[in-house]
Amino acid sequence: MAELRNYAAPRSLAEALQVLASGPATVLAGGTDLMPQSRSARVRFAPTLLNIQGVAELRGVRRRDGAVEIGALTTIATLRDDPAVRNGAPVLWQACDHFASDQIRNAATIGGNICNASPAGDTLVPLLVLDASVVLASGGAAGIHERRLPLSEFLTGPGRTARRPEELLVEVRIPVPASGWVDRYVKFGTRPALDISTIALALGGTLFDGRLENARLALGAVAPTAIRAHDAERVLAEGPLDRARIDRVVDAADAAIHPISDVRASDWYRRELVHNLLRRILTDVCPN
Amino acid sequence: MAPTPREEAFADSLIGRRVPKLDAPDKASGRTRYLHDINVPGQLHAKILRSTEVHARIVSIDVEAARRVPGVHAVITAADVPWQRPIGITKDHMPLKADVVRSRRDEIAAVAADTVEAAEEALRLIRVAYEPLPILTNSAQALGPGAPLLHGEDLRVPGRNGALEVVHKACSDNVSMAYEYGHGDVTQGERESAVVVEDVFWLHYVTHCCMGVSGVIAEFDASGNLLLYSNTQVPFLHKREFAELLGIDPGRIRIIQPPIGGGFGSKLDIYPFEPIAIFLAKMTRRPVKLLFTREEEFIASPTRQPVLLKLRSGCDREGRLTFRAVDTIHDNGAYTSWGATTPFVMMQTISSLYRVPHCHYRTRAVYTNNPYAGSFRGYGNLQATFAVEAHMDKLADALGMDALEFRLLNAQDPGESTPQGMHFRSCGFKECLGTAAERSDYEAKRRGNLEHWNDGNPIKRGIGMASMLHVGGGAKMYPSDGCGTIIKLDDFAKVTLITGASEIGQGSETVLALLVCEELGLPIDSVTVVNNDTAITPWDVGVHASRTTFIGGNSAIGAARKAKRKILETAAPKAGRTPDDLDLRGGHIVLKATGERIQEIGRFLRSLHFSEKAELVMTTYYYEPPSVHLDRNYKGDVSAAYAWATQVAEVEVDTDTGIVRLLKITAAHDVGRVLNRLGIEGQIEGGIVMGQGYALSEDLLVEDGMIRNPNFRDYKLVTAPEIPEMDVSFIETMDGEGPQGAKGVGEAPAICIAAAVANAIYNATGTRIYALPFTPEKVYRALRGANMPPKWPEDAA
Repeated sequence: MAELRNYAAPRSLAEALQVLASGPATVLAGGTDLMPQSRSARVRFAPTLLNIQGVAELRGVRRRDGAVEIGALTTIATLRDDPAVRNGAPVLWQACDHFASDQIRNAATIGGNICNASPAGDTLVPLLVLDASVVLASGGAAGIHERRLPLSEFLTGPGRTARRPEELLVEVRIPVPASGWVDRYVKFGTRPALDISTIALALGGTLFDGRLENARLALGAVAPTAIRAHDAERVLAEGPLDRARIDRVVDAADAAIHPISDVRASDWYRRELVHNLLRRILTDVCPN
Repeated sequence: MAPTPREEAFADSLIGRRVPKLDAPDKASGRTRYLHDINVPGQLHAKILRSTEVHARIVSIDVEAARRVPGVHAVITAADVPWQRPIGITKDHMPLKADVVRSRRDEIAAVAADTVEAAEEALRLIRVAYEPLPILTNSAQALGPGAPLLHGEDLRVPGRNGALEVVHKACSDNVSMAYEYGHGDVTQGERESAVVVEDVFWLHYVTHCCMGVSGVIAEFDASGNLLLYSNTQVPFLHKREFAELLGIDPGRIRIIQPPIGGGFGSKLDIYPFEPIAIFLAKMTRRPVKLLFTREEEFIASPTRQPVLLKLRSGCDREGRLTFRAVDTIHDNGAYTSWGATTPFVMMQTISSLYRVPHCHYRTRAVYTNNPYAGSFRGYGNLQATFAVEAHMDKLADALGMDALEFRLLNAQDPGESTPQGMHFRSCGFKECLGTAAERSDYEAKRRGNLEHWNDGNPIKRGIGMASMLHVGGGAKMYPSDGCGTIIKLDDFAKVTLITGASEIGQGSETVLALLVCEELGLPIDSVTVVNNDTAITPWDVGVHASRTTFIGGNSAIGAARKAKRKILETAAPKAGRTPDDLDLRGGHIVLKATGERIQEIGRFLRSLHFSEKAELVMTTYYYEPPSVHLDRNYKGDVSAAYAWATQVAEVEVDTDTGIVRLLKITAAHDVGRVLNRLGIEGQIEGGIVMGQGYALSEDLLVEDGMIRNPNFRDYKLVTAPEIPEMDVSFIETMDGEGPQGAKGVGEAPAICIAAAVANAIYNATGTRIYALPFTPEKVYRALRGANMPPKWPEDAA
């Protein structure tokens, strides 16, 4: 902590970006990951600590142009209580409902959960299934530049993202799913609250005539990042969801994952969980 | 019908009422001042440097840079305290390590500074060079041929006259303590058996997780008297022990216990941080405060005793138990604390939970480089009961006998004595079994669940039963098992109850106040309890062995009865009555026969104080239970009463994931008598949840001597949504020696949950798991045959 020299608490996005443009900074939002990580010396502070909590324009949920737009500073508690999220993206709502504890949900932000880029990040799996993208801003008083990136491209490794040092993640965009959209989410941990996923799964698609069309399948805590299982999605798209197809989807998902053994689970057990719980949600989404 | 005056007079009895804990408002509103909230003028803050090695020779320690940190007053190592003496049950543990570190927690140096930050900065600058030594990471290895010896040399320290004396003898086989007990002849028992089963069980590491982390404030006055603000559960024993460590008279040590944020047995021993804080206070001549971080609490406070246990037991064709033979290897860790003495309790369960005609019990507590085990609520009984109750189910199933019927056939009746010498003057064992079974519909559910083993549904239901026997009237482990009380009544009939019995959150001050009020006919809010200062309170052994309500309660009643006698004897002549005609009820002196009020007690006391022959009502009482020490064969009636319980667990097992949900606990406890219903419900519910954590979620992961999860993220305490439905029944056997008939119950509720859950998982799935805890991956592996069941080491004989 000794190397921390400046503290900035801007009130506007332009000011915040100005700070980022002027040199290396550690961004503080809810602090629920940053504080324990810095205390255990897993994260070293840059010379500047940039507290963006005062940037009000980064808060809130809007529905616009067929998309749900979520400001990066929106807390998990706000998301969980927002009818647009609950109705438009129930799979995200469920993840927010399973997220840590009330105290953490009140502080943690969606932008922080994404930028922390934990393979087990609770919102990442549903956001991937919802085909979310992130908006990154840079610049300053002279003008703000934005670029948009699919979430799957933003996440590059454990704790690593495509965010450039001068950029700030300002918004998450979720296209509102088409009618007939169904989804399922399962977070497996040892207890119903205050837990880090052993594995997480989310599945979404349009149910039509016994098949899941435009299917998306995402998996958490089984690879260096939360991932989409594209091969498994292709198998899903090929025909009705019968027992044989479920087997093939499970095989394809198994091929897509690279779980590790750690203090929470062995790689073998993580694979078994993916098999059994994926089979369970596939059977559940299409009961025939 | 209207109540008679006598009924009315007794309607205010407090026994069995729901009395809120006296300290609850302060605790609930955050006003309680724990040790952590206390700051003494002039105090320094201390921090300890611990080993980074599991087992190593210390080559050098360089503290020069640390001593130069601004704000640092002292940096000490073993070299600075050549007069330090060992602590622990066998005196094998030096507070500051000089030559060798034997575990990852070992204390190498300590700093006292103006601020915590300065102390931490100094710790970072201390350089230690190690020469690694081979490590012993499990108890089987420690007994194996060629195992390195962890305490292979005599421990010598300077004695009073300066000459070196041996304080701990060289241990040539890594066995710190060994126990052997027997009655009957197990060979004969085995010959008489129709069914014999043998299994090996592994009982894992857990730790207490007190919300208040360990800490102490040590301060010497100008005359060299030591004052400790301490969280100890045994202030009077520790007063003596600290005196020996410092070579001073015990009378010069005073221990004040601020409200304690959880004990559960963890504070029965002296740990290195306490003498270290005292050393620093002595050297700096300043008060020194030392508080653990949560990580330190996980790494450097004691664990429950991990045990590898082999049990062989049998029964005859009619279902009568014939014998039990047990061999255990206790992983002692690097030093010897109370965990090594858990056999005292384990052998009671092995010998006497159900009638066992032939019994053999053996334990070796062996040194390893792992964390060391202390005492923990239940004291070995969770481990022993886990094995015994697994075999009760297995034997019944092998005979094709109903598991409840099998238990009832072998359960003891009141008045029985066991071959180990325990005398069950009151005994509600069969009522516990019957009540828990009936209220949970145990037999029908147990049969019904079997039909679903192969029905294709991955979610299974199971029900399992286990019972326990534990001391309920103290345990005579020391020269005395007594407790003293002083009672003082003031002019307004307010009572000061001064008791040796410590409060560690268990509700003792409330139940003691209740017992006193019951005798004196006063409302509960008329009592102030003083229980936390050795300079004021009379002697007590300490909070352990579920003894406080029983021993402290009898002591408080004794003092209250003396006070009552004095009031009645003085009041009787004035009222023209004999003392036996009178009683104290509803704040008044009353006629015993009719309840008619004669005088308000406060008014009477004022007239007594301010009369010509002024007198005070102030009494003392010392209660020593009629129990005996175990003899050299570990036999004897060690407790004045014994507590019983049966608990039935209902679980749901998801066989796709291995997760076990505890749905319901139906518990029946022989508590003698309910004193404070709210208090006992809380204690039993809390104990059930502690047992649930032991069974299902808590797991201190020790690998190669390192703790992998020293935090609440990965060490999983039970959280509120996991707590099961509870149905608790009290079996009131009215123990003849107990205070108002009550028995101790502090440890009982935690003891048989894991055993009941194991039986329930078997009932749900047909898979028996022999190692705790039942965390999802372990259960899943067991269900798929992918686990490694515990094995008895071949070369451990």
